[in-house]
Amino acid sequence: MSERLRSLLFAGGLCLVCSLLLTAASTGLQRFQAHNIRIEKRRNILKAVGLIEGEKTLSERDIERIYEARIRKFWVTPEGDLVDADQRKEGDLPLYVWLEGGAIRAYVVPVESRGLWGKIYGYLALKNDGTTIAGFTVFKHAETPGLGGEIEKAYFQKKWIGKKIVDKDGTFVSVSIVRGAVKDTIPGEMQAHYVDGISGATLTGRYLSAGIRQVLETYEPVSIRFRMDRVQRPE
Amino acid sequence: MPDAVKRNRLQRLRKSPSYKALAKALWEANPISKQILGICSSLAVTVQMKTALVMAVSLTLVVAFSSLIISSLRRAIPPNIRIMVEVTVIATLVVLADECLRAFMYEVSRQLSVFVGLIITNCIVLGRAEGYALSNPPWRSFVDGLANGIGYGSVLVGVAFFRELLGSGTFFGYPVVPPFFYKMGYVNNGLMRLAPGAFIIIGLFVWLEHTMLSKKKG
Repeated sequence: MSERLRSLLFAGGLCLVCSLLLTAASTGLQRFQAHNIRIEKRRNILKAVGLIEGEKTLSERDIERIYEARIRKFWVTPEGDLVDADQRKEGDLPLYVWLEGGAIRAYVVPVESRGLWGKIYGYLALKNDGTTIAGFTVFKHAETPGLGGEIEKAYFQKKWIGKKIVDKDGTFVSVSIVRGAVKDTIPGEMQAHYVDGISGATLTGRYLSAGIRQVLETYEPVSIRFRMDRVQRPE
Repeated sequence: MPDAVKRNRLQRLRKSPSYKALAKALWEANPISKQILGICSSLAVTVQMKTALVMAVSLTLVVAFSSLIISSLRRAIPPNIRIMVEVTVIATLVVLADECLRAFMYEVSRQLSVFVGLIITNCIVLGRAEGYALSNPPWRSFVDGLANGIGYGSVLVGVAFFRELLGSGTFFGYPVVPPFFYKMGYVNNGLMRLAPGAFIIIGLFVWLEHTMLSKKKG
């Protein structure tokens, strides 16, 4: 009995010490990690709109400088109007906008999708025509490295550029990932709405397609405004 | 005769248990190329020198300190829950290492992704804890852990050196293949950037070591 009690006490003590250590490390390092994540988010937003090309690595200061100069964060009302953070209401959606000389060049919607092993977080940038995808990036995911994890690779993300979220009649169709190659599976005129899949990552592709469709549907009011060139925004 | 004294000292050093443990882990019983342990991570993180080096350092620190802690506690650890205790100690150290990487080397930690966390299940770490630290004093266990980590890391960095050089033409990210090579038609070997390339390189390392060791034995 005393043997068993000793094991229990030892295990309890060890767990206590270890959890204290981990808590201390986690709280102590939070500040640095939060800073890294903020930079990483900004880097991904810039990458999505094409302000950082491909795999080019920029210093933190450069990222901050370009971001501050070009990107502004707005909130989208259910009607599709853009408002500043101080006028935001419950239910408004965050939107990042690339401003160049007072005109909007592109807008970025945050993507939060189901994945195979966990959530996929990223950004989808659309051109100011409200139709064409300017870029797609993933900044956090838990997919299998080498399979679903390939969604974070440049070769996969490059395929999204230029795809259309509405067909030529103006009906919303979203953009989906197919199983296999687009040119073998999808008829000609529809190819603009599909992206090549990753082999071994069919489920990741399916979940991400659904996630992107949902995000784009939620942002349709503002996308429609962009298509009609009638975007209301604070100066 | 100072020369003789020196030689004598060297011989004595060679016979010391720390030296023997070090030599064994680095060469005669190298975790990767001799014991074929830790292959999974060595395939995954050896595309670039930088990730391989960070992984090697993280694993070395984890093995060394887990061995030190487990060895210091070896008389207190109840035998019936010893594996659980070992894994708890290892897991705590690995999570600490991962948190530090995330705070100070974010880019590298993203590239290493799950593989830092997977150090917990790396057979080298538990193997040293179970096979050495439980029955040896703390200092020797620490050295043993350090040696095994370096033994693992040396193969990792060696593999990464060839993979980065042949696969991307760079060394720690700096281009080393002269541009006129490319002009004359030289192409980076894409296979080296994929996992099968690592298999081939590791295979060559294993071959090299086994041949040299068997020659030594005569």
